Amino acid sequence: MTIAEPEVLYPIEEVPPKIEASRWRRFAGALKTFARRSPFSAFWGCVAAGILLVAIAAPVLAPYEPLKSDFRHMTKPPEAPHYFGTDQIGRDTLSRVIYGSRASLAVAIGAVLFGTTLGAVWGLASGYFGGRFDLISQRIIEFLQSFPDLILAMAIAMALGAGFGTVIVAIAITRIPFGGRVIRAVVLSVKEMSYVEAARGLGASHLRMMARHILPQCIAPYLILATAHLGVAIVIEASLGFLGVGIPPPTPTWGNMLADSLNAGLVPPWWLVLFPGCAITITVLAFNLLGDGIRDFLDPRLRSAIRQ
Amino acid sequence: MYSYIVRRLGFGALTVIGVSLIVFMVLRILPGDPLVAIFGPEGFTKLSEADRAGYMAQLGLSDPLVVQYLHWMRDIAEGSLGRSFFRSESVAEMVSRRGPLTAEIALISVVLSWLVGIPVAIVSALRPNTLGDNISRFISILFLAVPGFWLGMLIVLASLFWFGYRAPLAGASLLENPWANLQIVIGPAVVLGMGQAAYIARMARSSLLEVIREDYVRTARAKGLNGRMVVRLHALPNALLPVITLSGILLGFVLAGSIPVERAFGTPGLGYAMFTAVSERDVFVMQNLVFLYACVFVVLNILVDVTIAWVDPRIRYR
Repeated sequence: MTIAEPEVLYPIEEVPPKIEASRWRRFAGALKTFARRSPFSAFWGCVAAGILLVAIAAPVLAPYEPLKSDFRHMTKPPEAPHYFGTDQIGRDTLSRVIYGSRASLAVAIGAVLFGTTLGAVWGLASGYFGGRFDLISQRIIEFLQSFPDLILAMAIAMALGAGFGTVIVAIAITRIPFGGRVIRAVVLSVKEMSYVEAARGLGASHLRMMARHILPQCIAPYLILATAHLGVAIVIEASLGFLGVGIPPPTPTWGNMLADSLNAGLVPPWWLVLFPGCAITITVLAFNLLGDGIRDFLDPRLRSAIRQ
Repeated sequence: MYSYIVRRLGFGALTVIGVSLIVFMVLRILPGDPLVAIFGPEGFTKLSEADRAGYMAQLGLSDPLVVQYLHWMRDIAEGSLGRSFFRSESVAEMVSRRGPLTAEIALISVVLSWLVGIPVAIVSALRPNTLGDNISRFISILFLAVPGFWLGMLIVLASLFWFGYRAPLAGASLLENPWANLQIVIGPAVVLGMGQAAYIARMARSSLLEVIREDYVRTARAKGLNGRMVVRLHALPNALLPVITLSGILLGFVLAGSIPVERAFGTPGLGYAMFTAVSERDVFVMQNLVFLYACVFVVLNILVDVTIAWVDPRIRYR
């Protein structure tokens, strides 16, 4: 669930003087400052990185094949060989949770990269050109925002038919308005700055103005937005899976596993409910807190308003 | 004030039309054959060309898209909202039968979220960065991350496990059988209410912190008012303005969030109907329900804006 953040105009950074240090070293330095200033967010950032690693290394880490049924161990509670228990057809829950991280993260990252970026580019163009294009874009974005995002994603996923790509598209479309609005607000304030004026006076083309002079100012808000929306995207993906319009089974995703557990009998076994849900919660928590940390780090003005 | 309301309503009407166009586009024009949805991919391949054409004509799907759209608008204007593929019930009947339950859940959850969120925020904001503040903030952050439907499943499971209790599954109306109705409604309402309370506590905390630093609050304190009165009479009313807006938006999201939550609890509300429509791939029901939810969302936003303008003269006179 996303709530419209209060629309803040992001403070405009000075153009940094040229530093001779390499890009990589500057990045490492920024990371160090980030960890020193907000160790809490840095810790959750590490958790997020760990989950990402688990997703990448799933085949190495998972003790069993996620799709292979073991008919001698069906619906077994957690004990020695199967630490998270097994489901009604004898698949190992731990392995399925580990493999589930792949689907979740791939969908979330894909949807945010695709949707937020598309929205950001749209917002950049509509803020920069203004006029009738901007007016129409604003209306379309308003229409898209009139749907609670889960419902829009459900409708799109259902219309396109279940599948990995369609889930990404469905979630991405719900992310477009947020990118569009935030970046447009930034562009509107940057557009009036005198250095942009100067560039225009020198005869820079529209494309050059957007790419060289306005785009850099949009990067911080874009990063804030993207990390904040990763968590939302994961929850939507899980909900879609739970409602049966997500990535189709037997692919293990956390939402599918929760939906499966309802079919496991009159009373769903607790281990089939507990572990996938914990995985969702920890992942979303990690990305949300990392997002908060990045926002505070990149946007000192908000920090003072929230933290005092 | 009146001109503001009229303007807001005008934009609202425009939005509703835009929303209907998007719904129509998504569910009718996007690839994905409705007949595949009805008969399933296997059944669809068994149909002959003539059969397909016949079914399409029968469902009114072979008309030009503009005509189909106008037919849909006519259904909405008549108030029947079209029919389900699979049931004889019209969507309007379904909404009037199941809607009240979902509306109840949504309203109770909003009340709960205020009852929990605001006190937590006040305690938090009056002593920022103390242990209590940090704990309450972490709990609210945690609740932002917990998916409501999972919490619902855990609650159902725990109450079955420890008390052998399960809420009645058949629908019960508030007037005829209030006790059964409460048992059905309370679970989803608590789950959705806690999710909102987390947002509200967060927003109210930061907005209180901002307001408390303002000059007029210092003045109130300087003239000798005790802390409790300062908060209640001076700081809180202003700090709650953004919370009202947030709560309105959250109410819209609760309607969406209630779909998986109702599935988790097995509540026979509108959210469950939406889930059924999705799993049966019932395009017509889905189309109308999505449109309905979006309209409710738009109306809620208008109500929130008007309320804010009514409470806050700074917006009214802009």
